[in-house]
Amino acid sequence: MIVGKRGAVILTCAVLLLPAAGWCAEAAGGEAAGSGSWLSLLFYVFNFAVFVWILVHYAGPPARKFFADRASGIKETFARAEATYKEAQDLANRAAERMSRLEAEKQQIRADLDAETAHMANRIREMARETALRIVRDTELTGAAITEAAQRHVRAMLAEATGRLARELMINSFNDDDQARLLRSFEERLAQEAPR
Amino acid sequence: MKGSRVAKRYARALLGLSEDRTQLETWGAELERLARIGDAPEIALRLASPEVSHEARVAAMAKIAERLDLSYPLRSLAVVVARHGRIANLTAISESYQDQLDVLLGRARATLTFAREPNAQDTAAVVRGLEAMVRKTVIATVKVDQALLGGVVAELEGKIYDGSLATRLSEAERRLVG
Repeated sequence: MIVGKRGAVILTCAVLLLPAAGWCAEAAGGEAAGSGSWLSLLFYVFNFAVFVWILVHYAGPPARKFFADRASGIKETFARAEATYKEAQDLANRAAERMSRLEAEKQQIRADLDAETAHMANRIREMARETALRIVRDTELTGAAITEAAQRHVRAMLAEATGRLARELMINSFNDDDQARLLRSFEERLAQEAPR
Repeated sequence: MKGSRVAKRYARALLGLSEDRTQLETWGAELERLARIGDAPEIALRLASPEVSHEARVAAMAKIAERLDLSYPLRSLAVVVARHGRIANLTAISESYQDQLDVLLGRARATLTFAREPNAQDTAAVVRGLEAMVRKTVIATVKVDQALLGGVVAELEGKIYDGSLATRLSEAERRLVG
């Protein structure tokens, strides 16, 4: 800055006081009639020039900056708005395109679902068939086992009863001849097992 | 205890003292008598008591052997057994001695269990059958067990020859069950 702080104060005071001086001169000049009007005009011109200079010098840069900032802000906002608009347009285009493909996709999904359903139904049918076969097989095996166990149980009971009866019979009717016969049989068995 | 190494060693030592079969048999009988006395609860408890000194125990065994009128080798054995603290092994030594003597003399011991009291002919017939089978002289111990119903069961050298009616009946029952 060419003029310092003090200079600026002086200049401001001068500008404020000069019109007063001018008005005084005009009042005095009015009496002189005619010769004071040129000086008054010059004073006004000079005064205006100083006013303009001050205005340009002090208020100009902030004003310019304000307007430049405002312009750049508006430009950015505009650019953003344009980008958003373009994006919205793209989205609208894509949505329109998808809308146009929606029917085909719907058909495809329906076909896929039908195929999947048929596959699952076949699988479930197959599993049900296998389960039914297994149940039949298990039932047959269980039935056979139960039958076998029952037969075994009956045989065991019969054998036990038979054994009991046989024991009673033997105890009651076993005599020395029987014992001798058994001993002979035992001796024959020993003779058979004896090495030759 | 019958097969313990200690009992086998003592029995082998006694057997090695003579080659006379009759004498060995006599010693076996004497050893059995000594073992029976040594195994009697009142004597066994007294001899095993910690209140009895070692010397007193040896002296007691010597006295028992003398009272039983045992031959000199058996008296010596009784003293040696007592001195080495093996009185409790006397029965095992006697059994081991009998086993080794049986092997030496080509004999086998069998237990015959009859369903009824057998006569001498029946016992002899069964013993002959067993002798023919093992090709040894069989010394039989006879028992009676009515649970066999009929027939006989012979136990010889760790094998059982079962000719009893009870077993036949059990087998028939098993066959019926299937």
